[in-house]
Amino acid sequence: MIGPNKNIRAARYGMTIDVDRCSGCGACMVACAVENNVPPANPKATDRTGLTWIRVYKIDNGLPYPETRSAFVPVLCQHCGNETPCVHVCPQQAVEVDPATGVVGEMPQRCLGCRYCVAACPYHARYFNWWDPKWPAGMEKTLNPDVTPRMRGVVEKCNFCHGRWHAAKQQAAADGKPDTEPVEYTPACAEACPTKAIRFGDLNDPASEPAQAAKNGESFRLLEKLDTGSKIYYRSKREWVRQIANAPHPAASGKESFHG
Amino acid sequence: MKSTRRDLFKFTGGAAVGALLSPAPWRLVTDTALWSETWPGVPRPATGEIGAKYTNCSMCPAGCAVRARTVNGQPVALMGVAEHPFSHGVLCPFGLAGHHLPYHPARLKQGPVAEAKAAAMEALAKCGKGERAAVLDLRPGRTASWTYRRALAQWTDAAYLAPPRTLGGVVAVNLAAAKIVLSFGAPVLDGWGTLGNAIAARDGFRLIQAETVESRTAVLADVWLPIRPGSEVALARAIAGLLRKEDNSSLQAAASQTGLREEQIVEVARELAANRPALVLDSQERSEILALNQLTGSLGRAIVTRRETPVPDSWKKAAAETELDAVADRSIRLLLIDESVPGAYVPWSAIERKLVADNPVVVAFAWSRGGYGRHARFVLPTAVYPEGVDDIPPAVDSPLAMFRLSNALVPAPAGVVNPAEFVAGLAGISASDALRERSDAIAKTGRGTLFTYADAKSARAKDVKPDDFWKALNQGACWMDDPPPRTEIPKLASRRATAPAAADDLPFAVVMADAYALPCSPILSKVYQESNLRLAANRAALHPSAAGDCGVKDGCRAMIETRSGKLEVLVTLDAAVPKGVVQLAAAASTLELFASSARAKVVRI
Amino acid sequence: MDKEFIARGVKRCSTGKFLLWIVPWAALLAFGLYAAALVLVKGLNQTNMDNRFAFGLWIFLDLTVIALGAGAFFTGFLLYILKIGELRAVINSAVVIGLVCYSGAVCVLAVDVGQPLRAWFTFWYPNVHSMLTEVTFCISCYLTVLAIEYVPIVLKNRKLREVPSFLVFEFELHKLIYVLAGVGTFLSFFHQGSLGGLYGVLRGRPFAFREGLAVWPSTFFLFILSAAAVGPSFVLLTTWLVEKISRKKLVKPEVFGLLGRISGLLLSVYVIAKTVDTLIWINRTSPESGFPAAQYYSWQPFGTWILFAEIGLLGLVPALMLLSPKLRAHTGWLVAAAAMACCGVALNRFVMTVQTLALPTLAFDRYLSYFPSWQEVGTFLAVVAFGVLVYSVSFRYFQLFPSERELKMQVK
Repeated sequence: MIGPNKNIRAARYGMTIDVDRCSGCGACMVACAVENNVPPANPKATDRTGLTWIRVYKIDNGLPYPETRSAFVPVLCQHCGNETPCVHVCPQQAVEVDPATGVVGEMPQRCLGCRYCVAACPYHARYFNWWDPKWPAGMEKTLNPDVTPRMRGVVEKCNFCHGRWHAAKQQAAADGKPDTEPVEYTPACAEACPTKAIRFGDLNDPASEPAQAAKNGESFRLLEKLDTGSKIYYRSKREWVRQIANAPHPAASGKESFHG
Repeated sequence: MKSTRRDLFKFTGGAAVGALLSPAPWRLVTDTALWSETWPGVPRPATGEIGAKYTNCSMCPAGCAVRARTVNGQPVALMGVAEHPFSHGVLCPFGLAGHHLPYHPARLKQGPVAEAKAAAMEALAKCGKGERAAVLDLRPGRTASWTYRRALAQWTDAAYLAPPRTLGGVVAVNLAAAKIVLSFGAPVLDGWGTLGNAIAARDGFRLIQAETVESRTAVLADVWLPIRPGSEVALARAIAGLLRKEDNSSLQAAASQTGLREEQIVEVARELAANRPALVLDSQERSEILALNQLTGSLGRAIVTRRETPVPDSWKKAAAETELDAVADRSIRLLLIDESVPGAYVPWSAIERKLVADNPVVVAFAWSRGGYGRHARFVLPTAVYPEGVDDIPPAVDSPLAMFRLSNALVPAPAGVVNPAEFVAGLAGISASDALRERSDAIAKTGRGTLFTYADAKSARAKDVKPDDFWKALNQGACWMDDPPPRTEIPKLASRRATAPAAADDLPFAVVMADAYALPCSPILSKVYQESNLRLAANRAALHPSAAGDCGVKDGCRAMIETRSGKLEVLVTLDAAVPKGVVQLAAAASTLELFASSARAKVVRI
Repeated sequence: MDKEFIARGVKRCSTGKFLLWIVPWAALLAFGLYAAALVLVKGLNQTNMDNRFAFGLWIFLDLTVIALGAGAFFTGFLLYILKIGELRAVINSAVVIGLVCYSGAVCVLAVDVGQPLRAWFTFWYPNVHSMLTEVTFCISCYLTVLAIEYVPIVLKNRKLREVPSFLVFEFELHKLIYVLAGVGTFLSFFHQGSLGGLYGVLRGRPFAFREGLAVWPSTFFLFILSAAAVGPSFVLLTTWLVEKISRKKLVKPEVFGLLGRISGLLLSVYVIAKTVDTLIWINRTSPESGFPAAQYYSWQPFGTWILFAEIGLLGLVPALMLLSPKLRAHTGWLVAAAAMACCGVALNRFVMTVQTLALPTLAFDRYLSYFPSWQEVGTFLAVVAFGVLVYSVSFRYFQLFPSERELKMQVK
């Protein structure tokens, strides 16, 4: 958190995700879990009670086989910049938007576990610890010292790898760079993506890929009409992918349209 | 002046009020929250010096270069080496969590080593006429493989067995040379060769993926041909006929079997002809399909002969590789299976036939239960990926020979066994220096380039002394061969086609999803259990109409029954799976069952 | 055996019979406490809630019981502020119901959160923008007010009255009753509204999101209105039930009619307001978020029938029934209408909590279903049992119905 120093040049970290390049491999999901000390699933966990700070969904064009065509969409916290839904609803200010980075940060240590923010998030990017986190014996040795493991009963979500931002800040300070400039770093998911479909950068820096994607007419954000100010810009040349990004199209009612 | 009791009260009262006006008590109140923040049972990550170690990932033959972030020497995260000229800094989801494997709950740490050794020696002594010892090596081409072959050369008639493969040994694939790739289900972009190489080469070729269910590769392909299960060979025949400009008899048959339109098949053939060299791949390496490469100009360009990574001359006296089918039934008395590193799966039913009827000794070397450990008499624990030092044979898509070591980033537990040294011990040959010997042999040839990871520098091998060569390999490096002086047009081995499954009345055709699912870190629950991104080994995917036909619901338990056995699964309803097809993950349990039959029945439990 | 604790002039069943009544409810309470203990010890994985159904049975019940318990503040408001004297007959009963509802809701909330030990964080780090902060503050304060209002009822017990200091204390407390009623009304206004505001502010859930006045979405006002409307109905319902179970006349028949009329009036206003709000939501609010309203009702089983059931069948119909003097005169119709009104409000709370979460927001989401686990049902049953036990003890030993003695003598 910055103090009242007005000379700080704030960053607005964001991402551009190329849906046409995503192979749905899941490397981002694994790298995120490794970086952020997310525990492996409890044996009883399902896809509705898991902890997947970034989750890749499989979408399709709604046509029957063999006209079906699929795509993969990684969804993570969109770090909403406009009246962030989760920030407004938390009863004890456990969520805040960092003005220096634009990152929506969650404080698991202050979280009461009321799950109001989980209900408020339209992207379902917030995850609750339904169980005590448990690692197989010995695997705690592989935990990342830069990230605190959470406990049960609290909510957690993507924070654009805050530990890495911190390390970058410390490195910048050690290198003698001024404290008022934003730092460059890469979150685990963007680093791990084999096809480089996920690219991270500062939206305030016009040269960065996310900033360019934001201006690009081909880019779209999820649920744009909700006007949440999401900082994740998706790209695809396929029209059906772009349409799915907005309001739910009424799939055959009564049928659970399953995917990803 | 005398202080009275009143003074004391005044002092205490004033101090209390003053304290309340200070931050102290309020801080203390909030600090009580610490008790709820540090819950017993939540581990605290160890802090310490951050460092880096380099190695190569041995979870599959791609052997991607790995940089491990270490804390006090313990790896806490893995990432690729960005400057690596072949893997380009890419790791797959399995490799990203490889450092968890030593702590896998199914990890074996102890085993009956002495008994196994005794039983093996006894079996060797008992070997009668027509009986033999054999080693089944699931990942041939390693230095350990040479040790097995040298050991087996000491015994009469001993057999060195490896999973049959057409591509990946002497014959390799050069993706960068292909202008178009027609893949019959081979997961080109998701686990087939070296992921980083496939992605880097992707923009250079057009990809046509022919398979029943749209896989990850098909999603990114330029064209997905949705063909009915079991129609791949018919399609290949039709394309061959078109390329040879023969009559159209096979075209009609192919259209009706695959479900494609004739124009679609003609278009594919046209594209192959117009974009030479056109590479044709098949997930099952069927000869009829791979033979298309002879018509598409890829032999010698996209499919090349690869020189073997050099070995010391003294090793040349070694048993040759034998195919399992070529071994007489009921003739193996001692079978040693090295499944310490994942490789292609050979179904147990095929192996079991070759074992003698009375008391065969089967020793499986594995790092976890679940593979051949279920069938072997002895299971001996081995080191697992970041613990063991082993070399990784070059991947199927590396046109040049490679030599790289998977280094020990953490120590292996005390009870583990080195399979190569065990077998060498049985044969009375020495193997503990095998890797060093091979490294020296390579360095001495003066061929090739050595790329070291720590400094991302390349050096010609002839400029590096053998000692430094060995040292570099142990600290994270990769040797890549020079291109051979002349291109040899490779010959594709013709494999005996497996007998087509008897026409079955069972309602579902079985299709495998994903490459052979690697045994991997528990953190992969993110993709297998906490999301439906990858199909877990205990799940079967069916079209939602199956809910009506078989009475199954999403998430319910069911039995997949075939003529060879049955398997309990959890059902996933997926509209992407066509009707009449059940999709399973390729794992030891499923590959065991669907060895001979590709049709099944689904029964709700 | 405990006759000295029972007020003079009224008859209560024998101690043995009373215990027979108490025992099964106590057993149910014990079972429910066990279920709650399981959740507290093992964690919220004991429930069937998940990341999509972050709220389930408990939140739905919390909202419903708080709406039903609104009779406490509203009756107090009508009696002490608007001086409608006939309601003195039911005010004590309403206070007990309110106390039971609110304390039950607070207990369930303590089990519903992941870290109950951190409950005080809301008071320490309050977020002025959050409706839930407001709810927490107001409900805690109001529970205190209810407890204070309950004390005189307890202290008026025949035996306790013999302690002079209790009598003095109760007398002094009674002087504050108008203040308490006023504070209670003020607090209730806000927390009933904030409970509605909880859902109305969710921009990310266009099914629940409503436009409104300044920071308050329309659901804020609709919840207050519906709570005020259903409070008297629930008081009516419980009084009738207690009369039936105890086989006594407890209030004058005019009181029922009065409660029904008040409820009917407010319910009608509520139905009109709700209809206007729904039309605005269907035609403007929801489409502007990119979600055409018709699509919400395409997901079975929650078709448009649920909308019509909530506003029409269980809203307009009971309102008209309660407004009609002829129907009000018949206890049968009156009670039925009151029950329907209560169900309507419960349905409204259900729609706001459960249906909101069931509906997908992202196009590649699924429509989801949820069914509570036995631990959740058990905890809810514990609240019901707790309510019955407290009410039974209060009915037996305290004078909940001042008119009872008078009516008993009239019968004689």
